[in-house]
Amino acid sequence: MRIGLLTEGGYPYVSGDARLWCDRLVRGLEQHEFDIYALSSSERQEDEGWVPLPPQVSRVRTAPLWTAEEDEVGYGRRARRRFAECYGELAAALCEGSVAEAAGEPSATEADRFASALYGLAELARDEGGLVGALRSEAAVRALERACRAPGALRTAREARVPDLLTVAAHLERALRPLSLDWYEDDDLGSVDLCHVTSGGAAALPGLLARHFCGVPLLVTEYGVRLRTHYLTATESSPSVRALLAAFHGRLAAEAYGRAAIVTSGNAHARRWQERCGADRDKLRTVYPGMEASRFADVGESPECADPHTLVWIGRVEPAKDLVSLLHAFTEIRKEEPKTRLRIVGAPSGSEGTAYLGHCKALAAQLFPDEADGPHAVGDNPVSFEEIGGPELPTLADAYAAGAVTVLSSVVEGFPISLVEAMFCGRATVSTDVGAVVEVIGGTGLVVPPRNPRALAEACVALLRDTERRERLGAAARARALELFTVEQNITAFHGIYLDIVSRTPVRRVLLDATGEPLPFATPAEAHVPGRWTEQGLRVVARGGPGWAAGPPVRATAPAAATEGAS
Amino acid sequence: MSELGELDRPGAPNSPGAWDERSEEWLVTETAADQGPDADATTDHAPGPDPSARGKSGKTGNARSTTPTPRRATADPVKALMHRHRDLCERAVDPLEIAAGLEAHGVTDRTAARFRHRDVFSLAEEMHARIPRDGATPKPRASEADPRPRVDWVLLTLLPGALCTATVVGLHLTHGQARPTVAAAGALAVALALRAALARGPLSPRSGTLATGTSAWTYWLIAYALLGDGLLRTALVGGPDGLPDGTPDAPWPLATAPFLALTWACASAAWTTHLLTARARRKLTASRGLEDFAASVRPLLLGTFALFLCALTALLTLTATTLDEPITYAQTTTLGALLLLSRLLAIHRFTHAPAVILTATATAQAAALATVFAARLPGCEVLALPVQTLTDTWGPGSVQALTCGTGALILLLHATRTLTRASAHTPAEKR
Repeated sequence: MRIGLLTEGGYPYVSGDARLWCDRLVRGLEQHEFDIYALSSSERQEDEGWVPLPPQVSRVRTAPLWTAEEDEVGYGRRARRRFAECYGELAAALCEGSVAEAAGEPSATEADRFASALYGLAELARDEGGLVGALRSEAAVRALERACRAPGALRTAREARVPDLLTVAAHLERALRPLSLDWYEDDDLGSVDLCHVTSGGAAALPGLLARHFCGVPLLVTEYGVRLRTHYLTATESSPSVRALLAAFHGRLAAEAYGRAAIVTSGNAHARRWQERCGADRDKLRTVYPGMEASRFADVGESPECADPHTLVWIGRVEPAKDLVSLLHAFTEIRKEEPKTRLRIVGAPSGSEGTAYLGHCKALAAQLFPDEADGPHAVGDNPVSFEEIGGPELPTLADAYAAGAVTVLSSVVEGFPISLVEAMFCGRATVSTDVGAVVEVIGGTGLVVPPRNPRALAEACVALLRDTERRERLGAAARARALELFTVEQNITAFHGIYLDIVSRTPVRRVLLDATGEPLPFATPAEAHVPGRWTEQGLRVVARGGPGWAAGPPVRATAPAAATEGAS
Repeated sequence: MSELGELDRPGAPNSPGAWDERSEEWLVTETAADQGPDADATTDHAPGPDPSARGKSGKTGNARSTTPTPRRATADPVKALMHRHRDLCERAVDPLEIAAGLEAHGVTDRTAARFRHRDVFSLAEEMHARIPRDGATPKPRASEADPRPRVDWVLLTLLPGALCTATVVGLHLTHGQARPTVAAAGALAVALALRAALARGPLSPRSGTLATGTSAWTYWLIAYALLGDGLLRTALVGGPDGLPDGTPDAPWPLATAPFLALTWACASAAWTTHLLTARARRKLTASRGLEDFAASVRPLLLGTFALFLCALTALLTLTATTLDEPITYAQTTTLGALLLLSRLLAIHRFTHAPAVILTATATAQAAALATVFAARLPGCEVLALPVQTLTDTWGPGSVQALTCGTGALILLLHATRTLTRASAHTPAEKR
């Protein structure tokens, strides 16, 4: 199969998001061909270059999102009117409010309005070019103003002033840059069997257009919901700007979810957001992120090496991790089990994290006096703050190995990676009920409410006292992690999804003969056999066309010659 | 109960009557503080956060006898939550924004269950629906401070004028062989200074590079202002017999006064452009609609343009009287206007029209000169007739005044249409 991998600010750039996951996916599925279509998010990212690519990547096309050349195409009257119509429709759809505003489910007409305007603009860009200039023009701002002042527009949109309109127009121009790309021809995105969009947002646009122009099925994978990120980051502008942009991103997400054959998410939380934004429940699949299990294998298989009186906390130090609560819990634990020690392992993230770490150190020094074994020994504090890479803890696995119980005390958490690592190491865990913790841990660890030091302490004491229970939970956790959170599981899941999509919604390509007539039976039945069915040597020929079928020279001439010979 | 204020103060209800709004507010704002014994009656109904939370941790051990006294809960826990996240609620444009913000603060579906909601989304929806909409329009944002004139571009825009003055003084002081050297060095210095002045400050292009391809035509126009009139005059009487020697009395005179005035006018052009940009930005924040903005910017544009012309005229008068040269108002002001307008349009990303007009103007001037010389060919005398008639009627300067004036007028009309658009004043894109 030939898979078009669409990324935004990610793989194959060295500094990209989620490049590790994409890299593992591409390397893991070497039986497929990958065409990578990458949108870069900054000039610096482009300058830093790519990661080394495996041989199954047959093509990489990139385009910048951070800049756009304004080509000197002046529109004629008809093109101008076409643009004004499409853009006006788009603006009107935005002024009706976001997806959530429309009583939970967007009405079909509004969704259509947005989609038809979007595809109208894309068709205009394909036919005439010069969309960048048009999106920057006064006509765009005027259309936006008209939509905002129209009756029935959103209250916040009606209050938009001229600078707000300009900001929205500029943002829309940036967001719609993928429409001007030349990726949607038959030998580019038209030739792939499946578009895999690795994040929502801008990367979904090329996928949507490939589906619109060439009928390529779409798979959307989101490990973090882009719409949610947009809400959390865009807090600076005025309300009208935020309302219009939220409406745009919401509708774009809804359109991507609506058109996609399958939408995958990394955890139940992301799935709920997708469902909320209009994704059909039948399309949703949860594919847990995969992690390298081998480096924890030694630790995981020897649970007896742990110090039975040590608690370990591992992660990046920041206020959301609520170490203060952990320290308070530790005072309670010490009352019950005076020999217990707590090792806090992790580096601070950012200046806020550094300040927080200092605060925690001061608190630990206040709460727990230094202790020594006897009157002649030098004492130390029962709470130690350490970092990975020191002589005592050279690797991450050693850090997990050091303690009998791993504690997670966060108040806010997304997908708790340190918890999964602890599970790989076969350690019993006590965690707070935040984010995807319950989903990850299942029944293989103790879960307490956040901001409840006493409950945390009780759970830790229970585990510290009961060695057998600790081992049982650790083994169960390791088994669960190996079942759900390995790289292999992730890759196999995507492989299955690829096959599923291609078998259910294959691209129907109508091949034409020399006179432009449709050619029946030009695509043989074997073309739909998954995997590479041609010989390795034929790949060179096949590269220009679809990966599963014969290349363009064969497609264009050989069948035509055959029919001519027959007639 | 003697004071009126106390009588008026709402309290918790003693009967199952309706709460009024004021009492709710009172409850919420004084949640943490003591409210008097009456308020305790309401706590029973509220799902207290701690008991249910502890219920979940039941598997970790039985509850201690020293349970902390539950924080006083109000009858309306959502209201308390809204008060805690009031910034978020005031800011939010839709329920999803509240949901995202709540989740970032650690609110999960389990937390939402305490507020009797199925999930965070429905909790956020209730919060969004309950945000008081008092109808007060949000106060317009304070417009960001106008960019202050900076020392570097102020000095740079004065540089061409200063260098040109020095060159003219040099030309007056030197004689013979040194003169062409001084003139060439001066011309080079002035050209470099002009480039530097246009690369910084308000006259610089906003978005990166500016590839207009008009610099050759601009140089031609300036060169014509310097030499063109003299060449035309001598050509009409059969000359020129030699290269100009840099004196105003020679047969091919050098018009230094307009040139000097134009180089000094760089500074005034920068200042007027700065004024226009700053004022337009202020109008942008103040105006409500695009039509509003266009209507308020048009007089501003014309006013700054007139201001520049006045400054140029004053400079010209000054330089011409100092150098004791004839004052050529028509030619110089039209050329200055043409150059300013083309630059104004170019820095607002309208590069097409200035390029066309500058090319056309320069071509017309070149054609006028060419017809005069071509008329010397046998049988082509009629070619010189238009230019001859023009110079006979209004003098040799009329060719420049006519071409530049036409160009400037067209550009002015174009500018009143394009520079009054709001999209022309979009702040530069941040990277």
